[in-house]
Amino acid sequence: MRYGTYLVPAAIVLTLGSLACKPPKTAEQIKQETQAAFNEGVQAFKDGKARATNPYLNDKENPHKAQGWNDGWDKAAADKAAADKAAADKAAADAKAAADAKAAADRAAAEEAARKAAEAEKAAAFKAAAAKALVNIHFDYDKSEIKEADRAILQGIADFLKAFPAAKVEIEGHCDERGTNEYNLALGNKRAAAALAYLKTLGVDEARFTTISYGKEKPLCTEAKEACWGQNRRGEFKLK
Amino acid sequence: MTRFFIRTFLWALVATGLCAQQTEVVLTATSSAKLVLAMTAPKLTGLDETSVATDFSAVLKRDLDETGVIAMLQERLPAEGSPTKAWKEAGAQWLLNTRLTKAANGDLQLEAAALDTAAEKGVFTRTYNANRIVPLRYLAHYLADDLIGRLTGEKGVASSRIVFVRQISPGVKEIFQVDRDGAGLVQLTRHGSLTLAPTVATDGRLAYVTYKGGAPEIWGQRRKDGAHEKFYPTTGAGGMLSSPVWSPDGKRLAFVQGDRRGNSDIMVLDLDSGRARRLTDGTGINTEPSWNPNGNQIAFTSDREGGPQVFLMQDDGSNLRRLTGEGLYNASPSWSPNGAMVAYVSRFEGKFDLFVYKLGEGKAYQITTGVSTSESPAWSPDERRLVFTSNRFGSSQLFTTDLSGRQILRLSELAGCQSPRWIRGR
Repeated sequence: MRYGTYLVPAAIVLTLGSLACKPPKTAEQIKQETQAAFNEGVQAFKDGKARATNPYLNDKENPHKAQGWNDGWDKAAADKAAADKAAADKAAADAKAAADAKAAADRAAAEEAARKAAEAEKAAAFKAAAAKALVNIHFDYDKSEIKEADRAILQGIADFLKAFPAAKVEIEGHCDERGTNEYNLALGNKRAAAALAYLKTLGVDEARFTTISYGKEKPLCTEAKEACWGQNRRGEFKLK
Repeated sequence: MTRFFIRTFLWALVATGLCAQQTEVVLTATSSAKLVLAMTAPKLTGLDETSVATDFSAVLKRDLDETGVIAMLQERLPAEGSPTKAWKEAGAQWLLNTRLTKAANGDLQLEAAALDTAAEKGVFTRTYNANRIVPLRYLAHYLADDLIGRLTGEKGVASSRIVFVRQISPGVKEIFQVDRDGAGLVQLTRHGSLTLAPTVATDGRLAYVTYKGGAPEIWGQRRKDGAHEKFYPTTGAGGMLSSPVWSPDGKRLAFVQGDRRGNSDIMVLDLDSGRARRLTDGTGINTEPSWNPNGNQIAFTSDREGGPQVFLMQDDGSNLRRLTGEGLYNASPSWSPNGAMVAYVSRFEGKFDLFVYKLGEGKAYQITTGVSTSESPAWSPDERRLVFTSNRFGSSQLFTTDLSGRQILRLSELAGCQSPRWIRGR
């Protein structure tokens, strides 16, 4: 038998067959092609192309490419969504933080205003109490004794000083014109001392007072009659 | 026989001595006789304005009239150029001739000559030179003072000054100085606060109380014409302070310090050491110290026996005795320059009058009589007059009076004046 006749047709068949039949792709090749398609898909999403424009959809022989492209596109989309969400969350968080800070600042300002208002009210109350309490007392001609009628005034001054423990007062002694300048300075000093002594008996610490005499040097009026003289024979109380 | 001749000889000597003195007219400080003086119109050289002569004469006449020892001849004056005899017949005992010369550079010269009309002899000659800055009226003051010096043996006070307190606005009082004739007002302090109670040492140094720091402090000059500085208290607050008065030797200041119990005491501050010593005993009011001219006694006001009265004590606080007897309120003692009298005020029905206590006699004499209140007497340096404040013509003006109370003259129209002191001008 002649076996050689089969050689040429076999060679032709083998050659045609090898031309028709491609060798199967290796795993490595498939991986690379999938990765390339993946990157294309990512890029396509970034370029704004729709998912349906996958160029490998109709490539039946390379389904891994189509899959790779879709995966790339999906991943890019997911990444963007995640980034957007993160940004939105951050913006929200920042806004909240800013709003919180503002609210805190507003609260602090409101507290400060309230504190100042309270202080001003306290100061006004102090001034009003001082104006009410620190009125003049009066003395008889040539005398320095505290008059009965003035005890209530001095009690009011003592109460005021107890209500406001930081307050200090200067007691002034004054005289009418019917004495010599120098003797009246000494008499004014005696009048201020009498007021101080009385306030001490009402329980006020005498260290809260200073005394000063103006004699007849600072009259409230200058007419030569008792209505004026009586006004001038006085003790005055001034906040220090 | 020899004794007869010796006695006669001695008597003759005495008689001659007496005769020689008759041409000199000398009035003692206590004499109330007045010398009649006539003045001719000043002759002018280099001065055109006759108003200058008139003004000069007016100032000189007023100065001499207010001394209390000279009466100016005002009526029946002889004509210009009359002989001395005519002046004698008109009543003048002395005749004063003056010449005012103005040099080309503006300097003034005053030549003055007084003559006794009876003996027709010169009794006084002097020339005064002043530069352009010195006002002419000061030459008149100096001449008046020297004439009185020739007449009484003690210089007059026409060139003297009054230092006093004046209110500028409510709560602001400052110390001022004015000439004895009311001209030349000068402000001495500018503290912008209550400044009170000036006292002037013999060399012109000032001391006083001021409230400029809020509480009273004693300020003054440590050196003649020096800056004003705080004397007392040296640290911290001093309480009530008032009435500073220089001692006659100018080294110590008596003053008053009041405490918070109402007592006031006389203190003496030694200026060099800065230490203050308390003289009175710490109960009641003691105030208004006044030194005697020897500086070893102090007169002051105290209410230790009831109302205010005048007391005396040594300058160490010992030998305390009461001076004033009558009246319920005697205060503001002022010891006279020669130490024989103490002026003070006494209150009756709310108003004060001036009194003078003569220490030798042990008696007080009333000077002013209740027209209105008269306060704060101070002696003139020649002891002939007192300066004081009065409301008789307006609010608290400065007046002077002689010791009889018959010649009361307003010194200035300024109102709101208090606490005057009379000091020598030169």
